[in-house]
Amino acid sequence: MEGISQGRNEAGRTIDGICQPSELHRIPGIPPSRHRNRGSSGVGFTNVIIPHSSGTTRSVGLLSLAVLSFGLNRTFGSEAISPEHLDFFEKKIRPVLVEHCYECHDAGQGKIKGGLALTSKNAIAHGGDSGPMLTTGDPETSLLIKAVRYKDRDFQMPPRSPLPTEAVRDLEKWITMGAPDPRNEEVVAKTSSGGMSPEEGRNFWSFQKRSEISLPSLPSDPPVTNPVDAFIRFAQREKGLTPSLPAEKEAWIRRVTFDLTGLPPTPEEVDVFLKDTSPEAREKTVDRLLDSPHYGVRWGRHWLDVARYADSNGLDENLAFGNAWRYRDYVFKAFNEDKPFDRFLIEQLAGDLLPGRNEETLVATGFLALGARVLAEPDRAKLEMDVIDEQLDTLGKTFLGLTLGCARCHDHKFDPILQSDYYSLAAIFRNTSNFDETKTGAIHHWFEHKLEDHGTAAELKDWDKKIEEARKAASGFKSKTEGEIRGKARAKAVDYLVAAVGFDPDTSLDRVEEIAADFDLHPRILYHTRRHLGVNRDAPVFKAWWEYQAKGDLEGLRAFYEDKFEKAVLLFSDLQKKDPKIAVLPDADLEVYRAELFDNAGFLAVPAKPEHAFDEIALAEYDRLEEEARVLESAAPDHPAAMGVADVPKIVDTLPIHIRGSHLNLGDSVPRAFPAVFSSGEAAFPEKASGRLELAKWMADPDHPLTARVIVNRVWRWHFGQGLVGSMENFGPLGETPSHPELLDWLANWFVDEGWSIKKLNRLILLSETYGMSSTPAGERYAEIDPENRFLSFFPIRRLEAEEVRDAILAVSGRLDGEQGGKTIPLRNRQMVFNHTSKDHTSYDSLRRTAYLPVVRNNLYDWLQLFDFPDPTMPTGHRVSTTIAPQALIMLNAPLAIDSSAAFARRLLSSAGNDDDRIHLAWQLAFGRSPSAAEAESASSFLVSSADLEERWTLFCHSLFASNQFIYLN
Amino acid sequence: MNPLLQRRQFLGTTALGFGQLAFHSLLGSETGVMSPTSHHPARAKRVIFLFMKGGPSHVDTFDPKPLLDRDHGKEPPFDLPRVTFAKQGNLLKSPWKFRQYGESGLPVSDLFPNVAQCVDDLCIIRSAHGTNPAHGGAALKLHTGSDTFVRPSMGSWVVYGLGSENRNLPSFITICPTLAHGGVNNWGSAFLPQRCQGTPMGTASTPSVNAKVNHIAHPSLGQDVQRRQLDFVQQLNRRSLEENPHAEALTARLESFELAYRMQTAMPDAQDISGETEATRKLYGLDNPVTENFGRQCLLARRFCERGVRFIQVTHSDTEVQWDQHSDLYQGHTKNAAEVDKPIAGLLKDLKSRGLLEDTLVVWGGEFGRTPTAQGTNGRDHNPHGFTIWMAGGGVKGGLAYGATDDYGYYAERDKMHVHDIHATILHLLGLNHERLTFRHAGRDFRLTDVHGNVAKSILA
Repeated sequence: MEGISQGRNEAGRTIDGICQPSELHRIPGIPPSRHRNRGSSGVGFTNVIIPHSSGTTRSVGLLSLAVLSFGLNRTFGSEAISPEHLDFFEKKIRPVLVEHCYECHDAGQGKIKGGLALTSKNAIAHGGDSGPMLTTGDPETSLLIKAVRYKDRDFQMPPRSPLPTEAVRDLEKWITMGAPDPRNEEVVAKTSSGGMSPEEGRNFWSFQKRSEISLPSLPSDPPVTNPVDAFIRFAQREKGLTPSLPAEKEAWIRRVTFDLTGLPPTPEEVDVFLKDTSPEAREKTVDRLLDSPHYGVRWGRHWLDVARYADSNGLDENLAFGNAWRYRDYVFKAFNEDKPFDRFLIEQLAGDLLPGRNEETLVATGFLALGARVLAEPDRAKLEMDVIDEQLDTLGKTFLGLTLGCARCHDHKFDPILQSDYYSLAAIFRNTSNFDETKTGAIHHWFEHKLEDHGTAAELKDWDKKIEEARKAASGFKSKTEGEIRGKARAKAVDYLVAAVGFDPDTSLDRVEEIAADFDLHPRILYHTRRHLGVNRDAPVFKAWWEYQAKGDLEGLRAFYEDKFEKAVLLFSDLQKKDPKIAVLPDADLEVYRAELFDNAGFLAVPAKPEHAFDEIALAEYDRLEEEARVLESAAPDHPAAMGVADVPKIVDTLPIHIRGSHLNLGDSVPRAFPAVFSSGEAAFPEKASGRLELAKWMADPDHPLTARVIVNRVWRWHFGQGLVGSMENFGPLGETPSHPELLDWLANWFVDEGWSIKKLNRLILLSETYGMSSTPAGERYAEIDPENRFLSFFPIRRLEAEEVRDAILAVSGRLDGEQGGKTIPLRNRQMVFNHTSKDHTSYDSLRRTAYLPVVRNNLYDWLQLFDFPDPTMPTGHRVSTTIAPQALIMLNAPLAIDSSAAFARRLLSSAGNDDDRIHLAWQLAFGRSPSAAEAESASSFLVSSADLEERWTLFCHSLFASNQFIYLN
Repeated sequence: MNPLLQRRQFLGTTALGFGQLAFHSLLGSETGVMSPTSHHPARAKRVIFLFMKGGPSHVDTFDPKPLLDRDHGKEPPFDLPRVTFAKQGNLLKSPWKFRQYGESGLPVSDLFPNVAQCVDDLCIIRSAHGTNPAHGGAALKLHTGSDTFVRPSMGSWVVYGLGSENRNLPSFITICPTLAHGGVNNWGSAFLPQRCQGTPMGTASTPSVNAKVNHIAHPSLGQDVQRRQLDFVQQLNRRSLEENPHAEALTARLESFELAYRMQTAMPDAQDISGETEATRKLYGLDNPVTENFGRQCLLARRFCERGVRFIQVTHSDTEVQWDQHSDLYQGHTKNAAEVDKPIAGLLKDLKSRGLLEDTLVVWGGEFGRTPTAQGTNGRDHNPHGFTIWMAGGGVKGGLAYGATDDYGYYAERDKMHVHDIHATILHLLGLNHERLTFRHAGRDFRLTDVHGNVAKSILA
């Protein structure tokens, strides 16, 4: 009964795909939290006849079956069924079950939606995820009857249409008579191949503690000095791979400069490096780059990928995250200062709970607040659980390489994570404030920490007031203008009725405009009048109109309505003088005319859209006022605050398991705890705090099997384009296995020993021979042995990432603005990015580094979106690199590329020297090297053209930006 | 899984394969790599989705409710949902009359007199229902199957499953989409390959006559100058390719520039309606300023359809008066229907006369319907519990009313079709099995229909 327990909560992702309905094999009637037999999986896809037993040992969620029949005989014994009962079952019950239920609840076919099979007596008795299906003898308390009666909207079956009334009555009767059922087979369910038990999980590589790793010994001359190379070379030898030669110095400095700063090396930097023949030349370069403030922008941006950073909510409603930038700047600073990663983790998950908490640690908790949320969700309980789910899923993927979200509805299908583990973690986050009490209409506001306001409170209040006034000015103008139009139309009401005789309702508005002009009427109102007459043909008020129209008697029509309207209006105003509260005329006939005349939705209705209703001048004024209010709001300073989380005042210690992820179907409560696979003991959680700090500290423990491995693997990926474990966010059984397991563990050990320093790890890797290899393979053999180059026999060529593409264009053209930090989204906090108008006011005119451009979820900047910027709603440690035609279009036609080409051209033209020198300089700026003779030659001949000087050079520069060499790193 | 899909997936996850993959997929039928890969014979080759943003009222358009007339002004004699968007008032009858049309005699209200003429081609699903009562959630649900997370949109799944039929145009085009309420997510490819992303032309705030694909033309350069520039770029590119012959991505990029160059011509050609006859223009209402804007969108849809674009979405989302009449139902719906009725009928007739309706599935609907109860005095609230979506052409039965809401039109009751079922049925008509059209991402196989969805077999022709 899948749909049954769900109501409107389908908890989407967590059961996507892999858990096809046909695979949801849970033993009916066994709530997920109980009767689990840990470690007894592996039954496979077979029908199993279950011996009677009372096996209620704790089990893994996947139904390893055995458990089925406890106590069955006591309640539903297999005593002989009477012929009458048998007859009733066969005639009335079985056909209903077969026709209406078996499609989803047939154990024999492996269809057990909601964990429920209806194909045997026992199966029905045990029920599904929602519990036993019937109480023998009592239809009123039987779930089966509750479902088929179709009274509870959140609990009804069959899903598409109710059963015939007769069938419902038969089922009730059947239960009253004791639910006699000849189907005694105890075939209950096929079992799932399912996930690992926690015990099995402890034997899986990524859940095991790291051990000491010694370096492989290599007969090498000269000896390998960098441990990274020792592991890599060793594996290559084993595979029979020959590493490529060292890269050219030009290639290496371009590679490492983009890698650490996201920017191209300047010709001067290249020159210094090429001339430095000392053995320390590379070290000096790496140290210089690690010290550059641009390092934090580039490497902090990597972190923002996995923190799914954005400057707007952009799920159902797109409100600006006007304070998200504080988290972004915190991250960039943390990387520049080389904040130890364990501390970095703790601050992001529990910075508000640290003993020495300060503004910086509060800002860090923005990590938990940045997720995309369905802010207009009217069901608060669902919303809260959805947010917790997003937080768990994100922290699992980001820090632990675990897809925790998969266990929201059921035990994880692959990993050793139980549904009870999920709700134990969720219990910690249930103690977290995620929302403020304020709202914008139906849109909930996320929680923010108020920061010290430095005396700006009064000024901000003033802004709030001004914005409010500007909005009122616009809406006031709109109603005033509409009132005027309405008044004017009413004064000519009869003219509208007369003019409407002249055309039929299908007449084009163009033609109606001509007629309206003759009578000096509003064309859209007249257009509406005619259609209104058509729709309300039978209304008494228009009876006369239709009669006169049929006769073609315009004069009569005019006289009739003039008389009625005039009388009605005069009489009403007389009465009003006596009784201002009067609402209708006592004369029912006249009232019909008065009411129609004053009905805003009547035949004189003013078009709801200002573009349709207003004349040009009024429209321009209205647009101006609206724009003024919008611009005022966009420019207004924010109340100083940081997105983040805080503990709720009343701490709960447990949370019920949500059966199939539904907040409408609660199971047993579980206490706050870490997932069972990591320990067998119970962790102690404080009574008066959420437990987030304890969770964070546990995750940041040097011995945690996942944390250090996951971050080391990320760093490796950010240098080489692929991880040692290819699946960055999945270290579970369905993830990839490490290509170099010893190297991964050695690096993790070293990283922790060196104080969780990212920069030290960067340095170690960058100074390796492995990183210094050429991107040209030493031979063809790799294509057979290692086509994906996981063993790094040559350096993987890579396309620049979205930010690097734009930053490089700006840097090379000399336009880049190097300013760092601060708010960059041009909207006030919580302002709508888009409202119903779909007008895009986001501007990307800034020339600052791309990492500072607003990340507008739902409407990413073209340059980001087209060049594979990751979806900012989910953690992404591995950006893909696609090649599609729209990338070429933007490169060829977008203003950024065109304007920068012109600037690049001017830069060249203002330099000293002749055209050859300029071509030379262009190559150095754009590609970090000198042109070959052939390249210089083709450049020269391209520059011969009839276009004027600047235009020629602009085209030339544009071509360099568009070339492969510009956008690829060797 | 289908071997081709599997291959696609493999390529999609390897660093080297990706560029190559996207490139081939753009070439579509020419290389044969991405030839259609149906699971079963398809009844429809492409989809036109007419999206009425805001939630048109079913009880005022295609789902007449006599009891609503009778009990107008009374308290609803049924339980309201546990969660409603706004406070619900008493029953509110429809301001419009329903009349029967066609051989089928199906009733259509006076809001849609032109579409009514095509009623024998319509399969009116009166039992649609969704899960979310707010615009954003409901629009995401309808477009992507999820109102909780960012997921690939229906059009992206279709393109992923069937590839392209035109090498010079995008396979999934959305004309004047709304940026609100899910916005780009409603045509985004999420974790599916980038090529599956919908290509927007303008937005709801752009008059359709000005709607263009971004960056489709250089603001000043002539094609010949650009050709010369491109030749120079390619000369440079070939040199870098000689240095790195093993890097497939470099070859792909070389070709992507040629394709882009061709798109610069193909797209304006598709949009140039100057060759359409006067009769055709009239058919779509281009001769009337009221219908001109949406009429042009519909006409463009037909032109893309002819050119083999796989999934075309046409959005009606007035910037001020969407189909969201919390008040002034009569005025708002009158205006909106007047803008779309003629163009939609024109599209259906035009597709039919050109033989395109045979294998083009037209789908009409909003993110939800509206309540039969009043909001305020003269409006209706959001109602995801029961509403109408209709389909035409592409293998569905015409002249059929399928499913039903209750006597007042609040809840879908008979032959209920959840949004997941609608998705499953659309994929089925396209020859795709919704349970087998999967993509592995973050360690799991994802589907448009998640773990849900049933094909409504009885609406299949």
